[in-house]
Amino acid sequence: MIDRLTAALSRSRADYTEIRVERTWSTAVTFRGRRLESATASEDQGGFVRALHAGGGWGVASFTSLDRLDAMVARAGELSRAVPVDPPIRLGDVPSHHADALLDLDGDVRGVPIAEKKRLLEAYNGAMLGVSDRIVDTLAVYRDEVSEYWYVNSQGTILHELRPDITLSGTAVARRDGTIEKGLESIGMRRGWHSVQDKAAGFRAVAERAVALLDAPTVKGGTYPVILDPELAGVFIHEAFGHLSEADFVYENPQAREMMTLGRRFGKPVLNVGDNGAAPGLRGTLPFDDEGTPTQDTALIEDGILVGRLHSRETAAAMGERPTGNARAISFRHAPIVRMTNTYIADAPAGRTFDDLIRDVKLGVYACGAFGGQTMLENFSFTAAYGRMIRDGQVAELVKDVVLAGNLFQTLDRIDHIAGDFRWNQMGGGCGKAGQFPLPVTEGAPHVRIEEALVGGDVAP
Amino acid sequence: MIAQLIEAARRRADGGADALWRRFERTTVAFEWGRLKSAGTTEEAGANLRVRSRGRVGVAGTTATDAAPDELVARALASAELGEELDLAFPTQAPLPPLTTFFDRAANAPLDDLIGIGRSLLARLERDGCRVNVAIEREATATRVANTAGAGGEYRGTGCGVSADVWRIAGDDVLVVSDALEGADLPSDEALAALVVSINARLDHALRVVASPDGALPVVFTPAGLSALMLPVTQGLSGKAVLQGISPLGAKVGEQVFDARVSLTDDPLRVGRTASRPLDDECVPSRTTCLVERGVVRRFIYDLETAARAKTKSTGHGARGIFGKPVPAYTNIVLNGAAARPAPLQLGGGLLGEIPEGLLVDELIGVGQGNVTGGAFSHPVALAYRIERGEITGRVKDAAVAGNAYELWKRVAGFGNDARWTGSRCAPSVLFEGVSVARR
Repeated sequence: MIDRLTAALSRSRADYTEIRVERTWSTAVTFRGRRLESATASEDQGGFVRALHAGGGWGVASFTSLDRLDAMVARAGELSRAVPVDPPIRLGDVPSHHADALLDLDGDVRGVPIAEKKRLLEAYNGAMLGVSDRIVDTLAVYRDEVSEYWYVNSQGTILHELRPDITLSGTAVARRDGTIEKGLESIGMRRGWHSVQDKAAGFRAVAERAVALLDAPTVKGGTYPVILDPELAGVFIHEAFGHLSEADFVYENPQAREMMTLGRRFGKPVLNVGDNGAAPGLRGTLPFDDEGTPTQDTALIEDGILVGRLHSRETAAAMGERPTGNARAISFRHAPIVRMTNTYIADAPAGRTFDDLIRDVKLGVYACGAFGGQTMLENFSFTAAYGRMIRDGQVAELVKDVVLAGNLFQTLDRIDHIAGDFRWNQMGGGCGKAGQFPLPVTEGAPHVRIEEALVGGDVAP
Repeated sequence: MIAQLIEAARRRADGGADALWRRFERTTVAFEWGRLKSAGTTEEAGANLRVRSRGRVGVAGTTATDAAPDELVARALASAELGEELDLAFPTQAPLPPLTTFFDRAANAPLDDLIGIGRSLLARLERDGCRVNVAIEREATATRVANTAGAGGEYRGTGCGVSADVWRIAGDDVLVVSDALEGADLPSDEALAALVVSINARLDHALRVVASPDGALPVVFTPAGLSALMLPVTQGLSGKAVLQGISPLGAKVGEQVFDARVSLTDDPLRVGRTASRPLDDECVPSRTTCLVERGVVRRFIYDLETAARAKTKSTGHGARGIFGKPVPAYTNIVLNGAAARPAPLQLGGGLLGEIPEGLLVDELIGVGQGNVTGGAFSHPVALAYRIERGEITGRVKDAAVAGNAYELWKRVAGFGNDARWTGSRCAPSVLFEGVSVARR
């Protein structure tokens, strides 16, 4: 394959050309309630070419028939010439790499019969259904894939990778009369079959919580000190801050650039945020991004001050900064764009505990897990999976419908304490941007305290 | 390829088979932050096969179109071995409605014409302190479907999408106003002009930020803002939700559930829409489905599988991709038989005049999160305006709206005269009384 790709490269008349080819084997099994909804195995393959002529824009071609490789290389070159761009696009320097990076498949899922995958999921689904007859419906999904990946560019980089991904998710729906509550379990890793064994307890726990939520009161809307658990804190930092640190948002937008000026204070000195595409075994982890740039740990906020951002080669060159290995594409169907990998809030150096965070809270909310979240730049809204009240420094009763809404800048600035119990949330799903969804990413954080945040289950007056 | 696939499946699957083959070519042009940035092309083809073997159903898909049909059949059979029993009957051939889905002008437009559309939009949208993104996408598709019962069909289609968003960042205030056009043909000059007016009008009104009103108020939802109120209804009218027992409309066929002025249809036969097609992806001929008629629930949508499980007939809503199995999906959702107007209209569709104090909602944050099917919603606004004495007085930032979609649809206070397509939904602005508005 590499020979075929380098031969095609050599025929390109563009000043810069890159070719990516992927062949992906995947299986998916879905249960709804006790019923198997589907069990399928798929094979997807295709290629992507991107070309750049001096003075031209990006010429891009994607295709499923590899017989079209040479024609598509030529077409990408023509398209680049057809879109004159001034000032010209420049690419940040990255040394060329030759790598055969076969990630640890940890039990290659391609060797496991789909019937066995069905049995595994059936067991986890059964763990949810078995909790109580209040569990009226479940949705359980198993998905795995192994992607063989080739990348070459005209600056001499040649990569060959084998990329695994495995995810499991379970939704348990509990119902009593008109009241419906749900619990959500999600597991995701850039690993294989061995890593998803013995996970029934997590599925059982979310079903138990869904049942418990039937009796839980709705949180009383208002402003509280809020402690985010590591899962919700991770989702928060990804959604509310991470996207702003993607340089394609700022590099050609002077007002955005001003808003995101390095050196601006974003939070109290306790806040440290970064993005680490090289952390081992996580879904956002890869040795190289989809432009052949090695991944790295990039500091974004240090001691509350904005110190960095995430780059592709193009945005790095435009801003006079260094590529960070964050140009990613969800598949051969798409061009690489600036994306997060594994985004995190770091442990506070002081090594505080969760108890230290709640000790002086008279009345507050402990918001746990995430059902969803959306950010419209400076405004965000997150739905926690569940919450607990904090009363007089102690964790108290379960509450539901905990929705956090607010302004990003104010909220980041109100993070006043961070614990020392960091963990990565190894979940499925993924991140969406510019029509590319789901991109495997991971988030991580310790417990985080916001001194004051608006909590509302119901905004009705 | 599809004939060999069906033949190969017929030999090995005792309960029959159906298949879809689809090929598309797409050309895209993107202007990023005010300048032309890239041009792209995509060629893709793939096949999806479903078999029924010993009463069980299995599915397989591939984009490796050079692969032997037998290999795909084997994978579908392996999938069927795990499947549950399903009494799935593949339809026989029936006459297909005549429908134009292919427009030469869209299929053959040269790249320079697409770039020209983008340049003309940019020129009309650029303003001081703002940055504009424009994307233009044109595609041509070919679809073939067939089954072992002798039904089948093929058609070619075209589609063209134009989207623009204008960004204005002032300090920490980020304002994004966007709009998009989508149709089977290239957009007319009139439609492009309407897009410019739509964005500029909403931007002009948004420059002034005012405090949000508070309380149970009249709220106008624009055709785009209506998503939060439409989503529970369309989810509830899906035969799949009914079958799962999670649709509040499940037992309400024939009952008056909505305001008597609310009618909802799904229309796969609208000429000029990208979702239109002569038959669905399971060989069932297209026809218009009346979902809600003058407030009364009439019908749910079904594909073959949900219809078989519900012991009813497919309504021709089977949709399938290359991977995975068919699912019921809407085509063109039309509220009150609305015909879209190409001419630019006033924001609010003429509904603002009678409102002493209220809100105009154009975009909400988090639509689709939470327990959608139940109808309850609570969302911060992304783009909304304050209405005072019948006039828009400015943009409201820190507000949230809440209510129950089913309750609100029971008493609609007015429909606007500004029906338009938002994606594959055609609706006017709608005024509801007594929507909860909270100031943050």
